[in-house]
Amino acid sequence: MADVNITVDGRKLTAPAGTLLIEACKSVGIEVPSFCYYPGLSLQGACRMCLVEIAKMPKLQTACTTVIQEGMAVTTASDTVHQARKAMLEFVLQNHPLDCPVCDAGGECELQDMTFSYGASESKLIDFKNHKDEEQWSPVVFFDRPRCILCYRCVRVCGEGMDVWALGIQNRGALSLIAPNQDDHLECEECGMCIDICPVGALTSGAYRYKTRPWEMNHVSTVCLHCADGCKTTLGVRRQGSGNQIVRGDNRDKSGINGDFLCIKGRYAFDFIEHPDRLKQPLVRKNGTLTPASWEEALELVALRFREARDTDGGASMGVIGSSRTTNEENYLLQKFARLVLRTNNIDHHRTADFPAFVNALSGRAHATASMRDVLSAPAVLLIGNDPTYQHPLLAWQIRTNVRLHGARLYVVNSWPIKLTRQAKEFLQIPEGAEDKAAAFLAGDDSAADALLTSKTTREKLAGFREKLQGEQNLVVIFGSELRGQELAALVRAAARGAKYICLGDHANSRGAADMGLYPDLLPGYLPLSEAARFGEPWKSVPQQPGMDLEAMVAAGKERKLRTLYVVGSNPVARYAIDPFALAETFVVVEDLFLTETADLAEVVLPAACAYEKSGSFTNTCGDLQLLRKAGDCEGVKPDLEIIVRIAELMGFDIQQLAPLDPSGMRADFGESRGVQSGEVDQQAIWNRRQGYEPRVSPFNPFAVLKEIQRVVPGYNVGQLELLSGNDVHTATAGRAPGKTEADRFILPSHENLFTSGTLGRYSDVLNRVIEARLRLPNEKEKEIAAD
Amino acid sequence: MNVFSGLAALAKGMAVTFKEMLSPTIVENYPDGPGPLRGAMFQERYRGVHVLQRDENGLEKCVACFLCAAACPSNCIYIEAADNTAEHRISGAERYAQVYNIDYNRCIFCGYCVEACPTDAITHGHGFEVATLNASSLVYRKEQMLAPRPALQGQNAVFSISGEEQLKAEREHGGVGRWIE
Repeated sequence: MADVNITVDGRKLTAPAGTLLIEACKSVGIEVPSFCYYPGLSLQGACRMCLVEIAKMPKLQTACTTVIQEGMAVTTASDTVHQARKAMLEFVLQNHPLDCPVCDAGGECELQDMTFSYGASESKLIDFKNHKDEEQWSPVVFFDRPRCILCYRCVRVCGEGMDVWALGIQNRGALSLIAPNQDDHLECEECGMCIDICPVGALTSGAYRYKTRPWEMNHVSTVCLHCADGCKTTLGVRRQGSGNQIVRGDNRDKSGINGDFLCIKGRYAFDFIEHPDRLKQPLVRKNGTLTPASWEEALELVALRFREARDTDGGASMGVIGSSRTTNEENYLLQKFARLVLRTNNIDHHRTADFPAFVNALSGRAHATASMRDVLSAPAVLLIGNDPTYQHPLLAWQIRTNVRLHGARLYVVNSWPIKLTRQAKEFLQIPEGAEDKAAAFLAGDDSAADALLTSKTTREKLAGFREKLQGEQNLVVIFGSELRGQELAALVRAAARGAKYICLGDHANSRGAADMGLYPDLLPGYLPLSEAARFGEPWKSVPQQPGMDLEAMVAAGKERKLRTLYVVGSNPVARYAIDPFALAETFVVVEDLFLTETADLAEVVLPAACAYEKSGSFTNTCGDLQLLRKAGDCEGVKPDLEIIVRIAELMGFDIQQLAPLDPSGMRADFGESRGVQSGEVDQQAIWNRRQGYEPRVSPFNPFAVLKEIQRVVPGYNVGQLELLSGNDVHTATAGRAPGKTEADRFILPSHENLFTSGTLGRYSDVLNRVIEARLRLPNEKEKEIAAD
Repeated sequence: MNVFSGLAALAKGMAVTFKEMLSPTIVENYPDGPGPLRGAMFQERYRGVHVLQRDENGLEKCVACFLCAAACPSNCIYIEAADNTAEHRISGAERYAQVYNIDYNRCIFCGYCVEACPTDAITHGHGFEVATLNASSLVYRKEQMLAPRPALQGQNAVFSISGEEQLKAEREHGGVGRWIE
């Protein structure tokens, strides 16, 4: 668009036509205050704080609703404008209680800031303020009516942004008030966006309520550990007792891939960390019961039994199960541990999507995967299967926002009229379980059409749908675990012309676990076992024949051929409904946060740190790599990385071949700051280096492992500076995954919804309270059942 | 001339000395004086160990706003806030300080906390003998700093008891106040 020239406060500036005056001013650093204006939401013009003088216009104009015009002369700093702002503030403060000391927003309240900058701190009013008691609208949303300044941000973000429309306005004029959709409570997705966006303390969070004040906290940016979308969350931590306690989750700087968005799990479900059932001491089975033991005792026992099994029966008798919730570094090190130390390929994890087939289908095509940011800007999106509103909330937000702001065309293929069909341009309802047929049909196989016909879907509709899709340029194709093997490959091969793909896994690091080679037949980066040598000298000894997958391991257990099973952060017994007696003769070691069904069978249980308590990196389901930073502390637990290295060392393995050492030593501190896991720079190391002393290096350094991953894993060679500054970097799928054409039958979707998150969700107090409150609702249609 | 001016200066100096020698002693007789303060005397403005005040209903004035902790230059105030409920009401506002600790190892008695307090809940008292042989006992808890509850709290002193009863009750409870819980 052509640029428009305007004059603001005597200085000329230029901005694209159609820009709002308030945005134009902001772009050159002139602040025009406002409450109701929020970028990306519809215009309201309710608060009248942004009044400015425009030449030739008789009255003051609201900058947030005025589009700039050529030659416009604007004054934002005259006496009239100041007077107007002050008067508006006085008006807002008329019935606003001055209870800042007890208000949760105190310290990060926009009204406080504005009053501080623009005056009106003394009221002319001598009447008593009209007090109303605080209302609780849901387990996590509290509403304090007198504090509300009626900016309608919450109403708009809930309706336009979340497409929930749970908040509305009652009455008109001076009597207006924000009201929930059910008389006295909310029935919604409990995302907490209304609380986040509230400029004052009218909407406050039930989870953070009165816990602390904003200036008392340190803020740590990390990545949410729940679903696979990889939202950036900022955790507010406060020093307490022996370490840092996480007291709040939000997305404070809005700089992540999620922009403004965060769902209930990212915002509130960190409280499992402090659950009383959290394991804080290793447990060793003695006389049939798990009894607390010291770390030394437990680790030595594990190392002894592992070494015995390896040296007598060989690596083939040992199994390793990794996790889709541990970091890339830990997953990489775990498969390295299995392959180099245990000398076995018997390694698997809970698979939730067919990533190898995906990578195989994409091999040889550059830039063929879409990042989460691409979904926000793509001109058209095709969604096959899955229900992102409940399983991938960020993805749903990106799609909705794209449709709303950029007019993207959304095509939905699903067996169920999912919520996103409200944004869809075309919706193709297919019989249940026919997603693979739909993919085949869209890829050009007309014979698949028969299986897709329903009362709502005719042959003409199918043909029209395919034709429209073929006309789309730069399409983003999103599909879940319904598509596997050949159908997936056919779909990927069919659509061309700049199409990009996203394959949806279910857990925070499902993609990372797959990328890091937690497969019995694939190395990191989906490389075949025959290419082990490219990882370095020690890898030449890696066995060439594929190892056992999970099913085979259980079968071997039944036949008493599986001597040991090392389970890291996973609960296969509950997930796959494994017969507990199958592992009766196996020495099972479990690393987990809680005593899960699998841990209950174990000989040794090691308490692990969760992803909020360590640093490392996560790859979200789109392939966006982000760094985790340590936020909280938990006494007695160790990060999985450290446990793996310690076991290897006790087994007599030269740990320098396992855990890379970073000679820069910059992040290898041994406790001077908040530890190597905090991701902070080691000041002592800098001093050492300046004095010419030898740097001290730690074998438990996730950044050193990340460097190795970047060096050896195809696609991960991305800029470290971007990562370190807290940004997301898209990894390329450069692997090959040969022979991965048949559908992977071990894929088990986790079927999480907005309020469940596997084991972690079970131990989250907030999530449980929300689920209970929803079950109590009389007109609750969809029952939320906590999966494991 | 030098000798005379020297002598004059000497005389002037000694005059002050002799005058002070003959005037009454104003040094306080601490710690051998009478009364609970053992002879110590304070200006009203003296900044001693903090006192957490109560309002006229006997509720704590502190609403756990953390402003004192924010103002504190030596970072010695630690607070944990909690919700007031109808059954369990501690302060007048919506929340109260569940834990309120001042670490007197670190406190420099600057009075910034008193200045910062929006509800006049924290004040400097005149407590001063804080020295101890055990540093950990210098972390004072809320209970140690809280002003005593007014006598007869919960009863209406004006309407429900006569002056005599009140006097009797005060005598029984030591005349100052008592813990009800």
